[in-house]
Amino acid sequence: MNPRGPLAMLAAVLAAGFLATDIFRAGPQAGSGSPGNLLTLAVDFSQAEIARILQHGPWPVAPANDPSNRFSGQAEAVEFGRKLFFEKRLSGNGLSSCATCHLPERHFTDGKARGEGFVVLERNTPGLLNVRLNRWFGWDGAADSLWSQSLRPIVDKREMAASTTHVGKLMRSDPRLAEDYRKAFGMPPSEDDDLVTLNTGKSLAAFQETLVTGRTSFDDFRDALERRDAKAANQYPAAAQRGLRIFVGKGNCFVCHFGPNFTNGEFGDIGIPFFVAPGKVDPGRYGGIQKLLESRANLLGGFSDDASGKSAASTRHVRLEHRNWGEFRVPSLRNVANTAPYMHNGHLATLRDVVRYYSELNEDRLHADGEKILKPLRLTDAEVDDLVAFLQSL
Amino acid sequence: MLFALSIAAAHACSPALAGGKLVESGRYSVGFRTHPEKIAVGKHFSVELMVCPKGGAKLAEHLRVDAHMPDHKHGMNYKAEVSPVSEGRYRANGLMFHMPGRWEFIFDVRAGGKTDRLTQSVVLE
Repeated sequence: MNPRGPLAMLAAVLAAGFLATDIFRAGPQAGSGSPGNLLTLAVDFSQAEIARILQHGPWPVAPANDPSNRFSGQAEAVEFGRKLFFEKRLSGNGLSSCATCHLPERHFTDGKARGEGFVVLERNTPGLLNVRLNRWFGWDGAADSLWSQSLRPIVDKREMAASTTHVGKLMRSDPRLAEDYRKAFGMPPSEDDDLVTLNTGKSLAAFQETLVTGRTSFDDFRDALERRDAKAANQYPAAAQRGLRIFVGKGNCFVCHFGPNFTNGEFGDIGIPFFVAPGKVDPGRYGGIQKLLESRANLLGGFSDDASGKSAASTRHVRLEHRNWGEFRVPSLRNVANTAPYMHNGHLATLRDVVRYYSELNEDRLHADGEKILKPLRLTDAEVDDLVAFLQSL
Repeated sequence: MLFALSIAAAHACSPALAGGKLVESGRYSVGFRTHPEKIAVGKHFSVELMVCPKGGAKLAEHLRVDAHMPDHKHGMNYKAEVSPVSEGRYRANGLMFHMPGRWEFIFDVRAGGKTDRLTQSVVLE
């Protein structure tokens, strides 16, 4: 036999690890971990599927300061923000802080379907982990910066029910807070209540920017695919691999839950009823854009520290359309197993409920001018299990 | 003779932009390229355009730049802002493709009470 024949060449290519599809072909001994079985995976991912999987990393995303917040990344402001996050005196009645609803031990959510302040709110309390990566904040994206979003619940009558006057007075009257304020911002709290409250929001944002999730078994799998390390990739459970294939394949989940943070940062209508009371609707993104553009604290206003204006590009160009009615922000799926219940109104208790919701999607509830690729997935019970296993690996 | 050549040069319009694409309608040739060249999902980008009239057509009076996803039946969440740079040359800022998939650029060139729509598909992986 000619040693330079096709088989010899193929063996050389495989040994050199040049053909990702061949390296990652499925096989009956998938996941066996046997030293001689480095070329098999539980799932026979195609090149296109591998390319899509690689787009969901690497993780973590490199930290970057927020140019609209001059205190972003400043250690003193971060520490002051951490203290303020737990400071109940920031609320009007002194009984609630940011941490009352965003509980650290609950991954910065509250575990309730809908948030509770002075009243039961209309939306689920979103988690704060990886919030620094958001383009828009809140389920409706009414805020375009984390510092602006951090101000909202403080002065919202239904939540912490304070005021800028209250915040200014608190910072000036408490010697310890005043000293921490001076350390964080290089000046004592002034008589300008708006400025003091603004700095409070920016300090809270600086702290929240530090709330990030660590690496997961998915990240290890994704990186193993990238470096073509089949042995390491096979540490990822077979069920999660099968679920991942649905995610980047027939489920089309990746279209919205795209990128390292598993969200494209935008909004969608997935047919969840938006009537919150008889005759009352939650307008979702439609109302969010209206609030954003009316806000003095948006990135086009004078409170942003970004002189270049580059960070305001999305606000400058955002477009209000009828289809925005009932759209809500696409949440990140990282750490999703720990942030039940789900959806903007928290009406789905478990990840299995979420997967079944998409599996049995009621197309009649979708907007006529909404996303047309949303179709019931009609998953088998085994596929539901696999997709849940994948989500639990994030 | 020299004067005539100068006039011709002033009216010469080459739509081709290095590294870009060219689309045509009955009255116009439009060359365009994006900045950055590789469009990323969820990132703002700009489009540089050269709009050239064909066969004695009028100069463009107005240019609208937009994009949509034909298979998804929706457009962008952001409105492009088009600014003239010089005669025939424009820059559109603020575009964003927020999903992977097939997008279609839309260039509406208006002149003389008529609008020519030119389109170009691009697949974003």
